[in-house]
Amino acid sequence: MGALLELGWFLTLLAVGYGAGRILERRHYASIRRRERELADVLAFTMRFPPKTTRAQHAFLVSGTVVVSSDYFKTFVAGLRRLVGGRFRGYESLLERARREALLRLKQQARERGSALVVCVRFESTAITRGRVPSIEVVAYGTALVPQPR
Amino acid sequence: MRLENRAPAEGINASDEHPLREFAWLAGGALAALVATVVAVSLGAQWLAPKLPYRYEARLVRDLPAQPPPTDARGREALAELQALADRLAARMVLPEGMRVTVGLRDERVANAYATLGGHAVVFRGLLSRLDSEDALATVMAHEIAHLAHRHPAAALGRGVAIGIVLSVVSAESGRGAAGAVLGQAGTLAALSFNRDQEREADREALRVVAAEYGHVGGAVDLFDAFEAMQRARGDGAATRVEWLRTHPLSERRAQAAREWAAARGVPVDGARRPLPPALAAMRAAGPARR
Repeated sequence: MGALLELGWFLTLLAVGYGAGRILERRHYASIRRRERELADVLAFTMRFPPKTTRAQHAFLVSGTVVVSSDYFKTFVAGLRRLVGGRFRGYESLLERARREALLRLKQQARERGSALVVCVRFESTAITRGRVPSIEVVAYGTALVPQPR
Repeated sequence: MRLENRAPAEGINASDEHPLREFAWLAGGALAALVATVVAVSLGAQWLAPKLPYRYEARLVRDLPAQPPPTDARGREALAELQALADRLAARMVLPEGMRVTVGLRDERVANAYATLGGHAVVFRGLLSRLDSEDALATVMAHEIAHLAHRHPAAALGRGVAIGIVLSVVSAESGRGAAGAVLGQAGTLAALSFNRDQEREADREALRVVAAEYGHVGGAVDLFDAFEAMQRARGDGAATRVEWLRTHPLSERRAQAAREWAAARGVPVDGARRPLPPALAAMRAAGPARR
């Protein structure tokens, strides 16, 4: 009886994790793609210095941070995956969303301060909980440039 | 240099594969691996446990409560006769070093007998009322002693504990359940469950011993015929159910198997039956037990 309850509870968590995780992921991707189109005119690059052709600039730091958590289903599948190795497919899409979201927040910040060009963009990530259901922070930061009036 | 940002490429950094597909493969594989491990470990433990010297089993059960002897004089006499019969039959088998068969007599109506750890064989009083001759009783006794000789109780204990340990890796609760069930039976020296191969092995050994002791296997055929008749006539409302049939499941007809065994070896199927020893006969005549 106890084992049956344990199994039922586990399956419930698994189903909730899967259902909710799937819906949220689909919505998040839709939102990311829409905002990527909206912010397409804010350019972001990884090079350390602005292109030579740009005018004298006013520069400041912009950053976007995202904290995401895995769900019960993804974590369970990842646990099984650890036995045999291979791609953590669930985590791959989770982290891809986090990186794209972080970049979008960075661009949003740049646009609000009148910039359409961010250079030296870097990404960093830190696991913030490692326990049963891990979560991670992704930071994107870079140097936003605004052309100075002549 | 022309600088532009393009929409991120989809499906490269993240996979479009349906998550349930991966889940099905991984979970199915893990489950199959678990089942294979449980089967392998239980077969391994069942094979290994009887190979351990009997003295370890004896030490394990030394302090467990054995079946207490009957309190009345007649019961004690009957038990002594049972023990003498068991000793005679056991002398015809190869027992593990240091094992002495100890018979217990339980004053209960159910028709049952079982063998368990530490060389203990227990006969229920309800079984006696079903037996007409010493030959039939000897068949039951020889069957149970054969379980002991082949270390089947040790195999059952080893299997149960090994399965429990493997399952406890997955779920503490289910592991405790599996190991606890068999430890509970072993800890009270109650009946352990044997598998069909072990029952068949014990049946063959019992036939050999009964044939050697009595010169024919009439007692075994009597016993199995009587039990099969009772099984067919289920629902006769008798309070004395034949528990022995439930704890010793075999799908094929055992009487038929006994006849074939005898025919293949030129052993007579019929012969003069020996009457039950006096105290056992008196107990049988006194009718079923109180409980």
